[in-house]
Amino acid sequence: MHLPVRLAGVALLVAAVATPGAAQHAPVPPSTWAITGARIEPVSGPAIAKGTIVIRDGLIVAVGANVAAPADARLIDGSGMTVYPGLIDAAGSLGFPSGNAGGGGGGGGGGAASRATAPNSNYGPGMQAELRAVDQLDPSATAFTAARGAGVTAALTAPAAGIFRGTSALIALRDAPVGELVIRDGIAQHIGFSRGGGGGFGGGGGYPGSLMGVFAQLRQELLDAQHYRDLQAAYARNPRGMVRPDHDPTLAALQPVIAGTQPVVLFANSEREIIRALDLAAEFGLRPIIAGGTEAWKVADRIKAANAPVLLSIDFPRKSAGGGAAAGRGGRSGADSTPEPLRVLRDRVDQPKGAGRLAAAGVRVAFVSGNDYGELPANLRRAVEGGLDKAAALRAMTLEPATLFGVADRLGTIEAGKIANLTLVTGDLFEAGGKVSQVFIDGERYEIPAAATPAAQAPRRAPASAEDDQAAGTDDHDHPAR
Amino acid sequence: MKTLATLVASLVVASGVAAQAPAPPTLITHATVLTVTNGTLTDTDVLLQGGKIAAIGTGLRAPAGATTIDATGQYLMPGIIDPHSHMMSDATNEGSLSVTSMVRIADVLDPTDTHIYDALAGGTTTLNILHGSANTIGGQNAVVKLKYGRTAAEMLFPGAPPGIKFALGENVTRKNSGRVIVVGQPQPQPRYPSSRMGQEEVLRDAFTRAIDYRRSWEDYRARVAKGEKNLVAPRRDLELEPLVEVLEGTRLVHAHSYRADEMLMLLELADEFGFTVQTLQHALEAYKIAPEIARHGAGISTFADMWGYKIEAYDAIPYNVAVTMRAGVLSTINSDDDGRARRLNIDAAKLVRYGGLTDDEALATITINGAKQLGVGDRVGSIEVGKDADVVLWNGHPLSVYSHPLTTFIDGEIFFDVERDKAKRAALEAERAELEAAEPNKVPTPSRGGAGRGATPPADSTWESRR
Repeated sequence: MHLPVRLAGVALLVAAVATPGAAQHAPVPPSTWAITGARIEPVSGPAIAKGTIVIRDGLIVAVGANVAAPADARLIDGSGMTVYPGLIDAAGSLGFPSGNAGGGGGGGGGGAASRATAPNSNYGPGMQAELRAVDQLDPSATAFTAARGAGVTAALTAPAAGIFRGTSALIALRDAPVGELVIRDGIAQHIGFSRGGGGGFGGGGGYPGSLMGVFAQLRQELLDAQHYRDLQAAYARNPRGMVRPDHDPTLAALQPVIAGTQPVVLFANSEREIIRALDLAAEFGLRPIIAGGTEAWKVADRIKAANAPVLLSIDFPRKSAGGGAAAGRGGRSGADSTPEPLRVLRDRVDQPKGAGRLAAAGVRVAFVSGNDYGELPANLRRAVEGGLDKAAALRAMTLEPATLFGVADRLGTIEAGKIANLTLVTGDLFEAGGKVSQVFIDGERYEIPAAATPAAQAPRRAPASAEDDQAAGTDDHDHPAR
Repeated sequence: MKTLATLVASLVVASGVAAQAPAPPTLITHATVLTVTNGTLTDTDVLLQGGKIAAIGTGLRAPAGATTIDATGQYLMPGIIDPHSHMMSDATNEGSLSVTSMVRIADVLDPTDTHIYDALAGGTTTLNILHGSANTIGGQNAVVKLKYGRTAAEMLFPGAPPGIKFALGENVTRKNSGRVIVVGQPQPQPRYPSSRMGQEEVLRDAFTRAIDYRRSWEDYRARVAKGEKNLVAPRRDLELEPLVEVLEGTRLVHAHSYRADEMLMLLELADEFGFTVQTLQHALEAYKIAPEIARHGAGISTFADMWGYKIEAYDAIPYNVAVTMRAGVLSTINSDDDGRARRLNIDAAKLVRYGGLTDDEALATITINGAKQLGVGDRVGSIEVGKDADVVLWNGHPLSVYSHPLTTFIDGEIFFDVERDKAKRAALEAERAELEAAEPNKVPTPSRGGAGRGATPPADSTWESRR
């Protein structure tokens, strides 16, 4: 039973949970929206000073200065707001089962290492390239809350630990079954250079226990993949008289990687880590994407020569309020103890300039929040202050990741026909004071409560702002948290 | 099968790193030149040009564009070579297995380690960076020139033969001590072996497997040569390939060991498998078996006067090098420590006191002998025309405790200079003041919800050298 959806000002919508069992009793949320009178940054073209966006059934239907809202659309007054394509976080581990019960806040429900192991694998945990993010996702109820609060509507996700971590997926950050979240599967094979535990003299775990071992294992496994390719090809050409080669799921999964048809995301931050990663990619003819890249600007030319995009972490380091509370260096209370090394001081000043420098060198950059969603808007501004122009910064969170992940034809800009992912900001995302008020993901609306400060802890159900909603005086939740 | 050196060389090219142009020429005049191989020359000029020692003589003319250094009262000696170091690496041991010949120090070099600069200030120009001593067969080494400020690839010593680390004795057997056994939980597996007997067996087994591996490739190549079709090469095994190279004499073995009996075991095993151990590292009991070491053809690399820190290091004497040298064993002093790496001149001086080595013999233990042990004796280690311009100017004789380096050249380029260092200090202070005043380096004000973040690098980056 539907409640007919009327023009705003008349209908009173009650929060509904769209689970199958409740379908007969719960009202269905509106599927047609029109955001009117907003400033729009489509990324695909120049900004529209005052325009309308119409979305229906999860897709953008129309966008422009002279678009009329259809009769069945629920209206959102966009005056004072800027609408951007839904922001995309270019790397992370959202949606993986976490050790702790999910509890909102910075870090989201993901970030945990997936402990999954593949059945029938000849390679040990952490080395099973056949694992797929889509098979392991199990987001908690609050897994995506923090990300959405920063305006992020989609994210690349893969396990955070292991050497060969499996293939990542680009997911929409909705509260919905996993099958509905996957925008694209099999984006890239993720490779990390840390075993995450043990190592060194008498390493606690098995092999590899050191960074040297990690490289040796990577090299050996990629050589094994090449050998597997040669064996399978020889057998396919002439099976008679040749002993059948074993099937190996790990090496089979690495075939597109060594063929260069599937890229590898290589986690590397320092200059030498990036060089090592690019050297490894060159050794095996891989298509590298650097993730992290905090010192990438130092080797921009090398990255450009390798034609490698950078999924750049903009989780810029800040000086911690060490005060006297935490046990700081030297442990003396009050006065400064050991001065910080120059390289730490330089790094804090240089990192926000990194994006601008990479862009100037012609390197493609997409932004990674680094899990501190609370700081994401401030970090975006720092990247712009550091020399990246605003359009490029916006692109780095929208069309660039969409392009890198092969979904630019359906995501990443505000154009008719594309997926209705939108980020609505009161003010301007790149100006201080800009605040994410709501996001649309696959046409589903999520309101973002006002940022919690120690003084003003806004009650959960307060309306975000009077202008948001023309249904006056309503306690309006179009999509509740469970 | 490519050697590591050629592979890295090709990667350097692929990476677009241009070969560095040689440094402008430098003429050093009126120095006391300790050539090490051709005696001491007083009031002599040395010309460094094109990265090489171009001329040695008197009254040399400075070519166009050359800097002239008046070295009156100063001493010029070859850059010090340290044949046992663990500096500038993000990892030292892969101890999880008994045989880890597949791992490479070259994969984990950290060219930003400031100990490099300290070593240059101590007159050291070349290091043999080794895998640690956690296991019987360790990983592949990296020989580097300390070109501080360059990338790791640019520091690798061009053309140095590849090497590998072996280890015998207590460090290897005590790997299983300290295991915590928790009742009811799966027990941590002990790593074989726990005894010196087992270490010999590990070597024997590894080389037997290497021989089988080599045979499988010989068979394959023979079949290809006969024209057989549809063949697939054997699976490449990165653990066994370096061991085949040892058997063929193209990879040098540097074997950590202390006791005479285990050193003899290794030399006899090497004889049996047909290869020569290049150096015995530490070798504190080498003096007991000097003729046997000489007969096998191994060298030793040891400490001047450090011993007694464990049982197998007990029965040592400071005359070790004197005895081995007189028996014809190529002998060097090493540091195995970042601190000792910048005062190897003092360790060499101790050999004059203990054993009566001549100045040149003592200097040889930290220069030309190490160059020969590392297979680069034709390139560095002495002041001879045509060799690389890896030289150090000292304010006094290097075997004196009052002396220190003034300028360190590698390939004719200055990588350390006392005066430049002093001049830089003011600039660094000014930079520090500017950086500390910058906004990201200020402690955040309390108005921002208390969320001043620490500078935590993303979790994936755990291999930064923390200092």
